[in-house]
Amino acid sequence: MKKSIFLKLFVLLLGVALAAGFSTVAAAKDIIRIGGIMDTTGGTSDVGKDYAIGMSDAFKYINDNGGVNGKKIKYTWFDYGYRIPEAITKYKMLKRMGSVIIMGWGTGDTEALSPTVNKDKIPYVSASYSAHLTDPKKTPYNLFFSSDYSTNARSAITAWFDKKWKNHPDFGKRKPRFACCYMFASPYCSAPIKAIKDQARLLGFEIGEDQDVSLFALDTKSQIMALKSFKPDVLWHGNTTMSVAATIRDAYALGLGADWIVDNWGFDENLPRLAGEAAEGVMGATPCAFFGQNVKNMDIVVSSAETYSPGVPLGKRLNRTVQAWGDALITWEALKRADRKGVDVTRKDAGEAIMKQGFETLRNFDIGLGAAPISFTPTDHRPATGCRIQIWKGGKFHVVEDVDLKKRWPELWKTKWLGW
Amino acid sequence: MKKRLALMTVLIFGLSVALMSCVTTQVKPTEKNFIAPKVSLERFEIPQYDGYWYYAKSVKPTKGDAGNRGAMLPMSFLFNVENKNPYPILLDGITFTVKFDKDFAVVTYTCNDQYWIPAGKSDHIRATTLITARSALLSLLVTGGFKLKEKGWSPWDALERWWKGVPEGTTPVHIAECSFSFSADGVSKTYPYEMQAQ
Repeated sequence: MKKSIFLKLFVLLLGVALAAGFSTVAAAKDIIRIGGIMDTTGGTSDVGKDYAIGMSDAFKYINDNGGVNGKKIKYTWFDYGYRIPEAITKYKMLKRMGSVIIMGWGTGDTEALSPTVNKDKIPYVSASYSAHLTDPKKTPYNLFFSSDYSTNARSAITAWFDKKWKNHPDFGKRKPRFACCYMFASPYCSAPIKAIKDQARLLGFEIGEDQDVSLFALDTKSQIMALKSFKPDVLWHGNTTMSVAATIRDAYALGLGADWIVDNWGFDENLPRLAGEAAEGVMGATPCAFFGQNVKNMDIVVSSAETYSPGVPLGKRLNRTVQAWGDALITWEALKRADRKGVDVTRKDAGEAIMKQGFETLRNFDIGLGAAPISFTPTDHRPATGCRIQIWKGGKFHVVEDVDLKKRWPELWKTKWLGW
Repeated sequence: MKKRLALMTVLIFGLSVALMSCVTTQVKPTEKNFIAPKVSLERFEIPQYDGYWYYAKSVKPTKGDAGNRGAMLPMSFLFNVENKNPYPILLDGITFTVKFDKDFAVVTYTCNDQYWIPAGKSDHIRATTLITARSALLSLLVTGGFKLKEKGWSPWDALERWWKGVPEGTTPVHIAECSFSFSADGVSKTYPYEMQAQ
């Protein structure tokens, strides 16, 4: 009898202790680990810092708004200073930590890591929009929400041709002259050059010599002087904001007289601040809206910036924050879809299932934020079929044209343009 | 006798559970009663100093591979975090940017480690950053290039002055764009702070 009382008591206390212990274990088990490799101190930190902060804001918002069907995300990120060897080290560390998805940054490191990512089957959602990462036959685990750089470049030169060249007095009399400025040694800058020249030939441009402009350039007078003899009508700039500003300032001061079309990482709210009146009339690829523009879901981005990063004044936030949200929102949706289909998204080997049951089920998925609808299929990871081109004019950004390459050149889009 | 012992055990256990719950639920954290913790910089130090140097990749090193490499400059910030709330709070996020000479951002630090700070108590939290003359150069050129030009400074002169002036306490070091995130029983708050390290 007495033994039985002790036994019951022991079982009761053990039950209480186990319940308490297991509740912690259960909570820890429901964590989805996502890693981040960001540049807040390196050669692209002029745009990378805002992106990194925006990504952190987005995951905090996601956790505060139900997480992934109730499961919390543990987002851990590191600065790699735009150094490829460090990105590889950080990737290995994030893998050891059990990350199911990694949010990456630059083209050089994303392309260098791609074979490893494919082997490890970890979805890698990058801020590199290189078209080299869009063919699932070669890079099945690379993703991003934005139109790729080649689509951006093709769209930008097409919009300039449609809206500027057709109103030019020489239209129909001669070929428009076109050249490219970018850092030759940078994988990001050089990624869309082949595509934009292909598009230039398609539209009937005369193509001049490329100019090598470093990402760190503050003085580009020699490159501008070299361009002067070619008398370009329009120039592509494929760098980030600081060196784009330096180049267009020098072109303005030296009276080059050409229009500028710029890739998305060189076209943001800081460009007119740095370039002043030289920025007037500059057009650029904008795969999503500028920070605070009146589009769907922008209120969430702005209020999250206020709530989660109050140390950074709203006036200093850029469209880089919005771009980070674009990548975070497709990741959130993919995780929710995979989880609903019974995939254990907390397991570190869940990458393949998240790709197949999550990302590759997205069809014209609308994230708002001024982005085009997003689709991924097992045979095509180009998220969008065109890009919005905007212009800085009279102190504001204005839409020039929404170019849809697939609609305009369906056969080329389908058979020729994937993966480069 | 053994029955009494068993009853006593149950009683003590029950009382302990009851008392524990009283302690933790005496004041429940809410959006309204959450008091912003006071965060201040207790100390700023350079934990290891290796002088100022820079080698371009054209220079062959005695051992190892050549590359563009510069002297490291670790910086350690000891924060004092005072929890004025009548309940424990969890510090689970720190972000700040270190600026030299007020305008020049050299590193952005982030940490999501977790530290519990008891009710009404202060805690010390240490954050250590590591930059090199190479990383600072790249950051400086893309984020501070125009400001350097306006001031008529060359990036190399600025780096040398900072690498010598920061350890000696003559270069102003500023903690900007800083926020600390806290949570307590489902209430989450992030507050901005600004501090002068030296």
